[in-house]
Amino acid sequence: MTPETALSLAGVSYTYPGSGSPALDGIGLEIRRGEIVLVTGPTGAGKTTLCLAASGILHHEYGGTLEGSITILGKSVRDYRSMAGIGRHVGVVFDDADAQLIFSTVEEEVASGLENLGISREEMQRRLHDVMEATGIAGLADRAPHTLSGGQKQRVAIAATLALGTEVLILDEPTAELDAEATAAIAALLRRLADEGTAVLIVEQKLDALAAVADRMVLIEGGAITHEGSPAQAVHDALTESGARRPVLAAAPRRGAPPIISVRGLVHRYDGVTALGGVDLEVAPGEIVAVVGENGSGKTTLVKHFNGLLRPTEGSVFVDGLDAAKVPVAELARHVGLVFQNPDTMLFAETVEEEVAFGLKNIDPGDPGQPVDAALREVGLLHRKAVYPRSLSRGERQRLAIACVIAMRPKVIVLDEPTTGLDARESARVMETLDRLRRDGHTVIMVTHDLLLGEAYADRLVRMEQGCVRV
Amino acid sequence: MPEIMQYVTRESAFHRLHPFTKLIGAVVVVALAVLTNDTMMLAVLVGAVVAAAAAGGLARDLLRQVPLLLSLAASLLLLTVLTIRSGDTLGFLVPPAVPVVGGAIPVTAGAIDLALAMSLRFAAMLFAFQLFVISTQPRDLVHVMDRLRMPVDYTLMLLIALRFIPSLQLEGKRIHEAQLARAYNPGKGLVGRVRGLFPIIIPLVSNSLGKATVLGLTIDLRGYRSGMRTPMRDLTPGRADVAGICCMGLLVAGYLAVLVA
Repeated sequence: MTPETALSLAGVSYTYPGSGSPALDGIGLEIRRGEIVLVTGPTGAGKTTLCLAASGILHHEYGGTLEGSITILGKSVRDYRSMAGIGRHVGVVFDDADAQLIFSTVEEEVASGLENLGISREEMQRRLHDVMEATGIAGLADRAPHTLSGGQKQRVAIAATLALGTEVLILDEPTAELDAEATAAIAALLRRLADEGTAVLIVEQKLDALAAVADRMVLIEGGAITHEGSPAQAVHDALTESGARRPVLAAAPRRGAPPIISVRGLVHRYDGVTALGGVDLEVAPGEIVAVVGENGSGKTTLVKHFNGLLRPTEGSVFVDGLDAAKVPVAELARHVGLVFQNPDTMLFAETVEEEVAFGLKNIDPGDPGQPVDAALREVGLLHRKAVYPRSLSRGERQRLAIACVIAMRPKVIVLDEPTTGLDARESARVMETLDRLRRDGHTVIMVTHDLLLGEAYADRLVRMEQGCVRV
Repeated sequence: MPEIMQYVTRESAFHRLHPFTKLIGAVVVVALAVLTNDTMMLAVLVGAVVAAAAAGGLARDLLRQVPLLLSLAASLLLLTVLTIRSGDTLGFLVPPAVPVVGGAIPVTAGAIDLALAMSLRFAAMLFAFQLFVISTQPRDLVHVMDRLRMPVDYTLMLLIALRFIPSLQLEGKRIHEAQLARAYNPGKGLVGRVRGLFPIIIPLVSNSLGKATVLGLTIDLRGYRSGMRTPMRDLTPGRADVAGICCMGLLVAGYLAVLVA
């Protein structure tokens, strides 16, 4: 370890309390001042645990068995009295942006850490202004953080951490919900900070923009580092191996057939905000449509009208011939299935099988046996039917959420950000499932901020911008 | 969805008051509400808080709590009628004409008085605290508690509690929507509401526990225990604070005068 070493992990192994196998296994990693190290790997490989280890959180806040040594700026994490002490040197952005937002306005949120640094008001104002401009949230200063879109929340969480000006930054999937433009801006900002001497450890699945600014890339699998090298080579290897971004060739949509979804002049307003400003859209049966757009452009608001969770302020929405403004949600659920962005929003049953059967029983109280098995087979989870749903990996939970919806055999399946938080292999698996569903006659609509994903897998892109469809 | 107990971004007279003035106001109202059982005085106290909120343009935000208060009042009334026998008998919960059990459970004036007093007391305390919270940014609240030398753990507990109110509200709504999208229709009425809770409570508790861990770590990492707090805004009391303190003085004086008389 040299004086330039900011963060060092040597022979670090960790086993969570109650777990039989280690989540980290003999990790050795050094990050110098001014260096950006990008860590990637499959879902469940131990990337988040690595972040928790490197920031001292495992030692100070978690139980379990931790072996090896972890030093921050030359001092062992054991020698820091608490996380508050580590916080003076290390900024951490967690993968759950929502949970990091505490205050009532965005400006207050970003300023909150600055007020505890003992610096002058002028310096606080300067830093606040700079970081809000750099992260693209200056226009959101007076908004309540919990009312923002997922991507906007992520930018606020990043800004609140960067404002602290710590010497070490640890970021766990900080750009998972950001569109390409915002991701590039955050990548450039991190590069600038590194050039000024900050050591940066980033865990991320989206490699393109961040690999361009990283100095080194680390692949972690099964809790161990399996590859370390140049970011460019690693990106190439990852994409080649996963087969991601592979265009799908499937049955063409039934052009000329009456649209299964017809939206006319759709306006949606709430609390004085116009979320949709007159959307016209038609979706043909058997189509895969990707609704793309920047964070906060109205994508989720639009699709929530398809199953009646939101009702139009003005205009009309017809789904499979039904007026979505008037038909009850429970009835529309037979025609439109919506898979929410976060699968944990819906999982509550004791077993995977019961979870899938829940929706089926709601529309048909008979024996749900066969359709449940068919849906689980479709998503590759039949062998996990007796497992507690929340003990599944993130990718498996996402596939389970899809199974819950497809078991109900709706004609239209809507997925809100179906690949967020998934590695390339899991993403490809989800997209293959969608392609098979389309072959079976379903219409698929996916909401995504990932333009590349939409271009690769959809028949058509619907671009949203400030609540309108951009032609 | 209207949020409860959350700061409202607005330029009202209350927003301009120093947080310490507002805290004193809330404490005074709570103290006065606790010190009397007189329903008339409690009603005047509630009226004074609502009038002050109306003058500051925050009455609508305050009155969002009325459905909750009415439910509470109904529960208290039922409880006191079932358990208190005091004063004149005004009637019976079971009409005397009903065979065998007719005339059971008398409704007494004392029970109604007590239910009314407790409901008004709760309303006064809730309104006063809410007026303080919706017009004070959490960071100013932290600053005031810091100046009062409150232990940092208590301050952070209050901060987290306030933060979790909208979070639970939104998460509950999201989970409810997710279950509705699976054609879940628990039915209407009390039975429907209770049945509808089951698929919501488990994800809500599980997700909230995960968020609480991250929230606690975030607070630590942002240096709330550093002891080097410098508020970004200049929080200096002004003329409005003097006027506010005078109004509170008048309220206390009037209260004491009625009490002595």
